[in-house]
Formats: sequence, structure tokens, C-alpha cells
Amino acid sequence: MAKARLRWLLAGSAVAAIAVAAALAATAYGGGKAGNNKVIIDGTTGTVVNIDPANEYDYDSFTVDLPIFQGLYGFPTGAKLKPVLATGCSHTKNLKTWTCHLRHNVKFSNGDPMTSADVKYSFDRVQKIKGDQGIWTLLTYLQSTTTNGPYTVVFHLTNPDSIWPYILSTNAGYVVDKNTFPANSILANTDTSHMIGTGPYKLTKFTAGQQAVLTPNSNYWGAKPKNGGIIIDYYSKSSTMKLDLQQGNIDMAFQTFTPTEIASMKKSKALKVHSAPGVNIRYLVFNVKRPPFNNLHVRKAIAYLMPRQTIAKRVWHSTVKPLYSMIPAGLPGASQAYKTLYGAKPNLAKAKAEMKKAHVKKPLPITLWYTPTHYGDVSADEYIEMQRALNASKLFKVTLKSAEWAQYSGALGKVYGAFQLGWFPDYPDGDDYTVSFYQPKSFYNNDYDNSKMNKLIAKERASTGTARLKNLKAMQLLAAKTLPTIPYWQGDMIAVGRSNVSGIPSTLDATYYMRFWLLTKS
Amino acid sequence: MTGTSLRTYLITRLALVVPMVLILLTSVFLLMRVAPGNPIQAALGGHVPPAQVKVITHRLGFDKPLYTQYGDYLWGIMRGHFGTSITDNRPLSQIITQNGAATLELTVFAMVIAIGVGVFVGLVAGRFRDTGLDVFGRLFGIVIYAMPVFFLGLMAQLVFGVWLGWLPISDQASPITQALLPTHTNILFVDAIWDRNWAALWDVTRHLILPALTLGLVTAGVFIRLVRINVIRTLRDDYIEAARARGITERRVVYTHAFKNALVPVITIVGLNFALLLGGVVLTEETFNWPGIGHELVLYLGNRDYTAVQGIIVVFALVVVVVSLLVDLLNAYVDPRIRY
Repeated sequence: MAKARLRWLLAGSAVAAIAVAAALAATAYGGGKAGNNKVIIDGTTGTVVNIDPANEYDYDSFTVDLPIFQGLYGFPTGAKLKPVLATGCSHTKNLKTWTCHLRHNVKFSNGDPMTSADVKYSFDRVQKIKGDQGIWTLLTYLQSTTTNGPYTVVFHLTNPDSIWPYILSTNAGYVVDKNTFPANSILANTDTSHMIGTGPYKLTKFTAGQQAVLTPNSNYWGAKPKNGGIIIDYYSKSSTMKLDLQQGNIDMAFQTFTPTEIASMKKSKALKVHSAPGVNIRYLVFNVKRPPFNNLHVRKAIAYLMPRQTIAKRVWHSTVKPLYSMIPAGLPGASQAYKTLYGAKPNLAKAKAEMKKAHVKKPLPITLWYTPTHYGDVSADEYIEMQRALNASKLFKVTLKSAEWAQYSGALGKVYGAFQLGWFPDYPDGDDYTVSFYQPKSFYNNDYDNSKMNKLIAKERASTGTARLKNLKAMQLLAAKTLPTIPYWQGDMIAVGRSNVSGIPSTLDATYYMRFWLLTKS
Repeated sequence: MTGTSLRTYLITRLALVVPMVLILLTSVFLLMRVAPGNPIQAALGGHVPPAQVKVITHRLGFDKPLYTQYGDYLWGIMRGHFGTSITDNRPLSQIITQNGAATLELTVFAMVIAIGVGVFVGLVAGRFRDTGLDVFGRLFGIVIYAMPVFFLGLMAQLVFGVWLGWLPISDQASPITQALLPTHTNILFVDAIWDRNWAALWDVTRHLILPALTLGLVTAGVFIRLVRINVIRTLRDDYIEAARARGITERRVVYTHAFKNALVPVITIVGLNFALLLGGVVLTEETFNWPGIGHELVLYLGNRDYTAVQGIIVVFALVVVVVSLLVDLLNAYVDPRIRY
């Protein structure tokens, strides 16, 4: 009796299991796939902080802002700065007053016309709100903004600023609708009805940590987007994102895979890995007043031993390139100052000579800090390579230490003698890779204050054209001689798409902008 | 009749919630401050000048003495003001309703699976003691209980998502469904039913299967062993023998008398396991990119986001307390012999 019941039970369970499996298999790759019309689904491991341009100062938020908002200047195609909402700007001889003429017939996505009043409102708003993320610091030189008729805006600066058009291209200069954005407060990310810009898309839905939905702006003044909309899907782990991309649940992914994942996806026929030289850099910072790094010869010995090629090849599978200046190759004014002074490859003999001049015991114990929670687990591999190279020279005995970003970011030069940092530009120009690092009281607190450098910074800001580029090169050479930092790689811009997504290569350039409106899906 | 009445018991339990939550709040408050790291600096990412960091620290009250911060925090909680996360400026109320809803969806389904699988396998194993089914049930129970939830999740992703391609491996729904489904309750399963969008409901259900199964199976291990033992013990009880002696069919004896009574202790365990389930939900959500409150907790912990972590822990604590109370009520209802 019991055996008969057991048989029925087993048979029933088997039938139920087969039915469920069949149903699942039948619907696999069904409605949930990213095959929906012309909407492109992009995956990212990033986190959005604020979409409101008045408090947006991180790359992941910027990626959402870029299709929604525009500035007077920008990089609509390629890495060359061009007028966008302006037809052009002129400046007085002292570079302290900039007059910009606006493009006519530009409308916001809600149909409101864009005028000089909106531009003034946007700049005043950024300066008044002074958001926590600090984007307003890009407008430090801006004294006031005035209008001269509906299509002319005048910027009055406190200091000469040759790079002002670049500042206008950042989201500190994004123009928002004065009728929808509050004057004194930041708009919530979920308030999509008021998040109004002039860009090719409008934000129709935002769910924190889940997705941002962008639909084409029917009032857009320029060429219409080549797709039916964008959904940015947020992931906590790149491994999950990779699986979703391989399964076709998303169409493309832009930020950020590990080198191993990229190498693995290069082998997939369904996926295409696109890359182009990027402007994302990594560098080692020294606190120039803290022993033993206050000794220039010690810093020079490390510069001679920096294993850039090994890090690029072994750790990053050649998805990054050795970097020999803080300004990455490809940007105007970039030099290879570190290569000139310290060579392309490690030079043990020169390092030994420097250590002799340093008059320190050998091997010299030093500690290098890095932070895998901010720059990825691969940071550990990077620093192990560095440790290996320095220890192999028998000139140093390296201890590696890591900390979580929450701890690390508060310490930097205040606590650490030598530490890892990375940089992604506010605007793709050499100025952003020099002034930010070499000015006194820089953000990383490395106590570097060089009077020659300070003069060069002032000269660079007050010069234009080739004279400015010459100043940038002089700054790089001086930095290579005084070594407040050692740059070691510049990352490629990498995006992975399924084979039916096209247009990705057209947006990969030195700006690091993902111009979604150029992408199509077949 | 011994013991106090259910009402007295409930009042006592409710009164105990206050010191319990207070102890928890104090512990979390102190632990977050003892841990190294600066939430302001972490959130700002180094762009803001030190002077402005000081301004922000002052505005958020983090420069006040610890006891003042603690007092302010408690006062805020008492008024229902949980604050805004430092990392991404999200009101805690939004995190609780939005991400909390996703966690609720996952945990409810996981609990249903845990109870369903646990009770079914436990009953079968107990009923067919010392047969192959019993051995299988016991082994199954031990293995799934011992298996780390993230490992089970990864295996499920690999087998059902990658190899077989049957089920999605991440998210609460496909991006298109999420984009188009109007939000009513933040529980996508309910929202899909609300809108009578059956395609969306199927999509949401498919996304639920792997994470709910992973979390549910790990919890089911306890139930399997408990139910099996209870069934074996109940089948030996005198009243079962008496029932058999009275000529009641074996089927009725087992299914009506033995199984029903064997399940009473399970209700208590469900309550205790709910806390375990919430622990597991953090790892499950991370594995499956499930946008729940546990997923957010990991993010905020990494950034030392005091406000967010404290708020989320309070929610977790309150949920466990409420579930425990409900379980006690259910126990009293199911078994009238129970006195408190």
C-alpha cells in the first residue's frame, strides 16, 4: 500500500518537474530579452549620485546627464571642443570677460524656449547652491553672469581664464529650464517631470540602483537620436552584467569590466569588444614632506623602477597603456616627460645611483597604499607588481597596505606617504591634468608647493594657443623633475556590445563620452 | 489554567520592543562611528576643498559631540525622520519603501518555497522513514543547509541561466518590463497583477524563481529536519496508535492526525528563521543584483553612510520583531493549549 503511494508520489513529482522545465524552456529568451524594438539597454556597474547638473560631479551621474543636458560648448562629435548651445564666444584681451552668443530656436524637452535668462539662471544656481559634490568649484573664477538681450550672455571672471570654453562644456555649465529647476535646492533624481534639458533625450524614469530610462526628446533642435531610447541598467557586480550581456538580456555595457572579463568576452562571437585610447589614468602620489618620500632621490629611484609595461601587460591584459606624464597621450599639450627623464623601461643602474645619493639604508622599508574598493580588485595585482619590481632591485623593502575608500579618501596625503589614485577628467584638456595636481593645497594633501610650478600655472591660465601648450609642457617637465606623482597607466575606453548594436566606435574617443544618440540596434 | 493571558503577553512583548530596538540602535550607532572612515569624504570623492568638507560636516551635525549626535538621531527616529543617505542623497523613506518592497517580495516567496519544500520533504522523509526517500530527504536537507547561499546562487545562475538558458540570472524584471510597468506598490509582482499585465507578471515571476529558490532552499534545510523528526515522533504517539486501533484508515491517521500536529512546532521555527532569512537576503540580493534593502545595505556600509545603515538596521529589527509577534499569535491560534 505504502509502496504504491510512494510510486504515485514519485511519478507526480516527476511530471510536475518536467512541466515546469518545459514551460521555462519554452519561454526562455522570450519577452524579457533586450530585443525590444530600437530601445538599447546599456549595463553599468556605476552608481548615480545626483542627476541635477548643479550637484553632479562623478562619471556615472555624468553618463546620465550627457544625453539630457547641454552646455554652450561641448564635444558633440570627437574630442574637439565645439560650440553647442552657443554659436560662439569671444573674450576680452585680458581673458576676464567672455561674451557668448546663443543658438536661436532651441527648445527644452518640455517645449520651453531656451534663452539667455535660462543660461544666467543655470550658472547663478550652481554658484548659489554650492552642492556637496563640489561641481561649483569649476566656477571659482566666475564673478557674475549677465545677459544682453535674449541671445547674448556675458561671463565676468575674477582671473584670466583661457580654458573658459572648456568649463562651459562641463556640467557646471549645463543649461537647465528656469521654469522647472528650483533656484536654491537640488532636484531629486526621481523628479523626472522637472529634470528638463535641451539634449537629444529626456529622462522619463529613474529608479535608484536599478535603471534610468531615456526617451527621445521630440523638441530636440539637432539631429534626432538613431535609436528609440536608452535604458541604463545598474549592476552591483560586473560578473552578473557580463552574463546578462552574453545571454542577450542587455545590448551593451560600458562601465566597467575586469581585464579578465574583457579578455574572455573578446573570444565570444556574439559580442564585440570596442576600444579606443582613453583618458582615464592611474598614478602614485607622494607626500613630498613625509619621510622617506621627502627625499627626492628616493622618489627618483622609484620612478626609475616603475614597472609600467608589466602592469599593462600582465595585470591589465594590454587594456591600458604605459603612461609617461600626468597628461595622457592624445590630449593637446601631452608630453612624455617621465620617459625622457627616467626611460621607457625600468633602469636598475640609475635607480641604484639615485639611492646612493639619497644616503639611506638599503633596502629601504617603504609602504605603498592602494584601495581596491574604489579602483577594483585589480589594484591589488597592480601593487603586487610594483612591490615585486621594487623588492627585486634590493633597494627597497615594500609593504603593501590597502584600505576601504571611506577610510582611504579621508586619509590620502594627510596620513599616507605614497598612495594610489586615479583621475577621470572634468574636461578633456591638459589643464585638468596639471593644475588639479600641482597647485598648492591640492585635493590629495601631498604638501607639494613649488613656486616655479605656481608661476607656470598662472601663466598657463593666462595664455592661449601654442603659448598655453608650451606652458603645459613646461609644467609636465617640472613635475617629472620634482616628482609629486608618478603616472603609470592610461586606460583605453572600452565598450562591449552585442553584434546587432552599431555605432559604438563613433563615440569612443579621448572625451570618454558615451554618446548614446549615435548608436543603433538592428 | 496556568500562565498569563495572550493579551498580557502581547503587551509585555510590545513593551520589550522599545529597549530591544534602543540597544540595537545604540550598538549600530557606536559601531559605525568606531569603524575607520569618513562618510563625507567618501561621498564627495575628493573634489571638494577641505573648507567645504568642514561646512558639510557641520551641516550634517557630524562635528557635534557623540552624545549630542546620538540624542539628535534618537529624536529624529522618534519623529519618524530617518534622514537622507549621505552617499546618494536618497531619503531613507524612499529606500525603505522602494528597496524594502523588493526585499519583501523576495523574502515572502523565499519563505513560501522554504516552507513548501521543507514541509513536503520533511513529511515524506518522516512518513517513509528508513527508505530511500528518507535518506534522500535527510541528505538533501543537510546539503542545502550547509551550502553557503551565495554559492548556491552562483550554481543556480550557472545551471539554469547560463547552461540551460531557462531563467534570467539578475534583476527583479527585464529592463523593458521595469521601464514600462507603472509603480503602485514597488512590489513588481503585485504591480503586474494590479495592471493585469500578464506578460509582465510572467517576466517578474521568472526573475523571482532563482533568487527565491536559492534563499528558500537554504532556509528549507532546517524545516526538513524539524518536520521529519516531528512526524516520526508523532507517528509513535499513543493517540495515533489509538486511532489505528479504532480502525481509522492509515491514510486518515497519517494525513489528518499525525501531519497536522507535527507541523505546530514549525510555526515557531518560521519566526526564528525569518531573521536568518534576512541575513541570507543580503548575500542573495548581491548575487542576483536584486535591488533590495540588503543590496543597499552593502553599498552604504562600504561608504560608512551612517544615516542609511542605521535606518536600514532599524527596519530589519522592526521586521523581525513584528514577525516574531505574528508567529506567537499564530501559535496560540493553532494550538489552544499554548499559554504564555
